Amino acid sequence: MFNRRQFLKATGAAIVAPTILARRASAAGTLKVLQWSHFVPAYDQWFDPWAKKWGASKGIEVTVDHVGFADVVPRATAEVAAQSGHDIHMFIGLASAFEEHVIDLGEVERTLEKKYGPQVELAKRSTYNPFTKKQFALSDMWVPDPGDYLKSVWTEIGMPNGPVTWEDLVKAAPEIKKKHPEMQIPIGIGLSQDIDSNMAVRDMLWCFGGSIQDKDGNVVLNSPETLNALDYAKRLYSVGMTQAVLSWNAASNNQALNAKETSYILNSISAYRTAQDNKLPVADDIFFTPALKGPSGIQLASEHVMSGYVVWKFSKNQDAAKEFLVALVDASRDSMTASKLYNFPSFYGAAADPGTAMNKKIESGAAWIAKQCNSDPFGSKPADKLAGLAKAQPWSTNLGYPGYANPAEGEIFDTYVLTDMFAKAATGALSPKDALAEATTRTKQIFKKWREKKMVGGGAKDR
Amino acid sequence: MAKIEAAPLLAIRSRRLEGLRREERTLGIAMLAPALAYIFLLVALPFALAVVLSLTNSSAGSLDFSFIGLRNFANVVESPVFRRALRNTFVFTFVSQLTVIVLGNVLARALMKTFRGKSIVRFLILMPWAAPISLATLSWLWIFDSTFSVANWLLKVSGWLGPGQWYYWLGDPTLGMLAIIVIHVWRMLPFSTVILLAGLTSIPKEVHEAADIDAAGPFAKAFQVTLPMMLPLLTVAVLFGVVFTFTDMSVVYLLTRGGPYNSTHVLASLAFQEGVLGGDVGRGASIAIFLLPVLVVMAVLMLRVSRRTEVL
Repeated sequence: MFNRRQFLKATGAAIVAPTILARRASAAGTLKVLQWSHFVPAYDQWFDPWAKKWGASKGIEVTVDHVGFADVVPRATAEVAAQSGHDIHMFIGLASAFEEHVIDLGEVERTLEKKYGPQVELAKRSTYNPFTKKQFALSDMWVPDPGDYLKSVWTEIGMPNGPVTWEDLVKAAPEIKKKHPEMQIPIGIGLSQDIDSNMAVRDMLWCFGGSIQDKDGNVVLNSPETLNALDYAKRLYSVGMTQAVLSWNAASNNQALNAKETSYILNSISAYRTAQDNKLPVADDIFFTPALKGPSGIQLASEHVMSGYVVWKFSKNQDAAKEFLVALVDASRDSMTASKLYNFPSFYGAAADPGTAMNKKIESGAAWIAKQCNSDPFGSKPADKLAGLAKAQPWSTNLGYPGYANPAEGEIFDTYVLTDMFAKAATGALSPKDALAEATTRTKQIFKKWREKKMVGGGAKDR
Repeated sequence: MAKIEAAPLLAIRSRRLEGLRREERTLGIAMLAPALAYIFLLVALPFALAVVLSLTNSSAGSLDFSFIGLRNFANVVESPVFRRALRNTFVFTFVSQLTVIVLGNVLARALMKTFRGKSIVRFLILMPWAAPISLATLSWLWIFDSTFSVANWLLKVSGWLGPGQWYYWLGDPTLGMLAIIVIHVWRMLPFSTVILLAGLTSIPKEVHEAADIDAAGPFAKAFQVTLPMMLPLLTVAVLFGVVFTFTDMSVVYLLTRGGPYNSTHVLASLAFQEGVLGGDVGRGASIAIFLLPVLVVMAVLMLRVSRRTEVL
C-alpha cells in the first residue's frame, strides 16, 4: 500500500510543505463551512446569517462558502488531496466515497436521536455505512421528488389529478400531443447526464422491480425487471419524448414546464417556486403527484436532494463542527421555512412543538410539517397544493435502494452509468439487452474496485 | 622581453574571462531556475503522478492506493464510451483545426486589406479569444438549447426549418459534436488569424514584386511564394492549435457534459468525469495517459520546427 503523500514526499516535498504550514496556521475559534448554492436562493439568505449568529453566540467565527451543486464533489476531491480547506463540507448526494477522510459522526447522530428520536430511514441509509459501521455524514434535510404536472392539460385528457402509474404516461402522451401539438415534449422525463435524470431513471428501475444492488450489496442490475424497465423507457420515449430530454441539465425540466413545453416532470417544488417568484401565470396550473406506480404496484422515488454534512479529519475544529451540526438540526423548522418548504427535516422530531414529550416528538414534527404543506405560507393557490408532499416519506427512498448508499452507488451515479443505459435503450442506440449488458459490466467493475478497498460488502450473489 | 611581459597579462585576461564565464553560467542557471522549477513542479511531477496513478486503484476520497498493474487500461479499452471518446478526440481536433486554419487564412488576408472600420472588425475578431470560455459557452448553450434554441428560431424564421422540424443540437450525437466544433472554432479563430496575419505581413513586398515580374499567376504565387514563406508560422499555429484542442475539455464539459449518453466526450472530459466527478482517479489517469502518444509526437514536431526555422 502506498499513498499519494508518500509519493509526493519522495519526489518533491516542496509541494507539500506549504500546504502543511498553511494548515497549521488555521486559527482556533474559526469554523469554515462549505455549502451548495441552494436551488431556492432564499435559503442561503437565511443560512449564512444564521451560521454567523450561531458562531457569535459561541465565540466562533463562522465562514460560509457556497459552490454550485456540480462543484461540491470536485471541491471535496481538491480539499482531500490538499488535506486542507473547510471544516464542514456539505454534500447534496452521496458523501460515501470520502468516508476514509471524515470523522465518525455517530456521537452527533446519537445525541440528536436522544433529543428528537430516530431520523428518517432514507437519511440514515444515505449517511451510514453498515459494512464499516461508520456514520460518515449527517443529514439535516432531504427533499421529496414528486411529479409536477400542468393540471389544465391533464384535465383536458381526463386525468385531472395527473398520472398515477408509469403506464399512465404512455397512455397520456399521444392524447396530450393531439390536444397540444405546440407542446414540444409531452412527457418531460430527462434521460441526460444530469442529477434529475439520474433520479428519474432510478425511479423507473425501482418501480419495475429492478435495482443496482440488493439489500446486501450484491450487484443485481442484470435482471428481467431491469429489461422490463428499459423496454418501458423505449415505449415512453417513442410516444412522449424527443431528443431534447437527452441533453437536459438540472434546470431544463423546470424551464420546459414553466414554458408549457412539457406537461409532466419529475422534480422537487423548485420549478413551481421559480414560477411563483417570477409571477408566471403557469404557477397556478402546476400541481403535484406522488411517485408513480410500476406494473406490480411498487411506488418509489429517489430523494431529490439529501444533505450529507461531513467533518474532515484534517479539520482542527472538529468539536465546534459537531456542535454546529447539532444546532443546524435544532433549526429544522427555520430551515424548512427558509427554503420555502423545499427542505424536509431528516429528524422529524426536530420540528416538534416545543415541550412535546419525547415519545410524541416525531408525531408532533410530522404534524407541523403537514400543517405547513396543507396551508402553504408562500402563497400557493389553492393553499393545500403541497399537501401531498407531507405524505412523501413512504414512497421516498435513498440512492442504493434496497441497500444502503455506498461509494460504488455514488460512482455509478456520478458517471451516469444508468442514465447512459436508459438513454441508449430508449433511443434505440442499443437494444435494451445490449444497453443492460454494457451497464452491468461497468457496474461490476465499480463494485469490485470498492470491495477491494473494503468499503462495500456483498459480491457472493452478483449476477 | 615583450613575450615575457605578455604572459601574466594573458593569464589575468584569461582568469577574468573565466570569471565572467562562470558568472554568466551562474546567472544563466539563476535565470532558468524559475522556468525549470515551474516545469518540474507543475508539469513533470503531475505527469509522473498521473503515470503512477494510472497503475493504481487510487480514488478521489482517499490518499492510499495499491498497484493493480494494467487493469485500468484493460477496463478502459474495453469500454465503448472510451473508444467513442478516443474517436471524438481525433475528429474534434482534426476538423476544428482544419476549419480554423482555412478561416484564419481568409480572415488574415481580409485584414491585410485597407477598409473602413478595420479596427472595429479586428476588435470583434479578437473578442472570442478574450472572452472567458465559461461565459461564452453559456451563451452558446442558449443558442443550441434543445428546447429554446436561438439557432433553430433563426432557421425557422429563414424558412430552413419547416413546421414540426427541429434540430436537437445537444440531444443528438452528431449535432452535439458539430456544436462543440463550431464553438471551438469560434474560440480558436482569433489566435490563428493573428499568427497568420503576422506571417503574411512579414513577407517582404519585394518578394511579391519579383513574383509579379516573373509573371507568376495567383496559384503559383500562393503555393510557391506565400505558402513556403509562411510555413514556419503556419506550422507553429497548427501545432499549438492541435495540442490545445487535443487536451481541451472545457467546451465539451460546459456544453454537453459528454452527452447524449456519453457520446460527445473527448478524452480530457471523460478523464475528468471518471477521475474527478466519479472519484476513480486511477481510471481517470489511465484515460488521460492516452493523450500522451499524440502529445509526444506534437512536441517532437514542434521542437524540430523550432530548430529548423528558429522561430521560437
